[in-house]
Amino acid sequence: MVKIDRINISNEGLTKFFSPIEAQIMEVLWENNEMMTAEITKQTNIPLSSVAGTLDRLVKADFAQRRVENQGQRVRYIYSATTTADNAANAITTRILDSLVDTFGAVAIENFSKYKKVK
Amino acid sequence: MSSIADELICYAECVNKSDLLPLISFLVVASLLLFAFYLKSKTPIQRVSSFAGAQLLMIGAIVASFSTMECSRMLTIEMYLAYVFISTGIMLFLPGSYYKILIRHHNAKPISEIVDWVDDFVNTLSEDSNVYYFDSAIPKAFASGKAIFVSIGMLELFDEQELKAVLAHEAWHLRHNNKTPILRQLSLMTFTKFRPEQELELMADRFAEKIVSKGALESARAKLI
Repeated sequence: MVKIDRINISNEGLTKFFSPIEAQIMEVLWENNEMMTAEITKQTNIPLSSVAGTLDRLVKADFAQRRVENQGQRVRYIYSATTTADNAANAITTRILDSLVDTFGAVAIENFSKYKKVK
Repeated sequence: MSSIADELICYAECVNKSDLLPLISFLVVASLLLFAFYLKSKTPIQRVSSFAGAQLLMIGAIVASFSTMECSRMLTIEMYLAYVFISTGIMLFLPGSYYKILIRHHNAKPISEIVDWVDDFVNTLSEDSNVYYFDSAIPKAFASGKAIFVSIGMLELFDEQELKAVLAHEAWHLRHNNKTPILRQLSLMTFTKFRPEQELELMADRFAEKIVSKGALESARAKLI
């Protein structure tokens, strides 16, 4: 889950900020409008035993939301992302920038204005 | 000493004047700490030793207080009896109503709100029982006191027959637990369980197989792997 102290900048893609399973789930939730648990396990190819706990965590952290739906006698969770991928990126960036400014103050701000991506 | 207030003042004076005050304080604090440890401990050995230790230290504190009394010693005996009644009451009756704490902890709601047949089915197996659901994607079911708790994850994973098999398994636990609640509590308190946990689970499975079917139980189990 996105916590400043757990961000790993050496990881690839979203796994810098999420665990690999969380990242996979969030990606399919951002790509799809609404999904049932079985669809998430199918699309991510992750077993339910790993997906279920991660979904609970993502809902608790407010990255995903769910509602309960009755289909005949069956009960289903319907999941969706609480916000778009862009908005989530915005929130994560803000948190990291806040942390950098808190720690380095003017130096951090000066670096943002001079920032150029170095490959 | 006529009134309890006078007796309490006398009690406090006797203990205060006595050289045993530090010892009595130590025994009471150590006993309470051990009792807290007993409530938290997971293994039977830790539970037995901390429970026995807490009782012995408390009895030691009571004996030490008794020896300091220069006035009526009845108050010490009365306090000891009150301690025995209160602690026995907590031990015997708190676990029976523990499910109410679980309802609050899981923010559980009556299952009749989302599935209509479950309460009727469970009540045919275990009278006056209630089934609650709670918000979690992790498939989980457990029984406590007079209630069965089922996660939404379990409701969405299992079909009706599989769910009935799980509910029958949990209903067997309710029947077994409620048959002789006081004796069961005493057996828990004294760590003299008649049967190991594994055997109880097996018996609950046999019951579920009889009530629903072996196939439904096996299929439910396969989905959880």
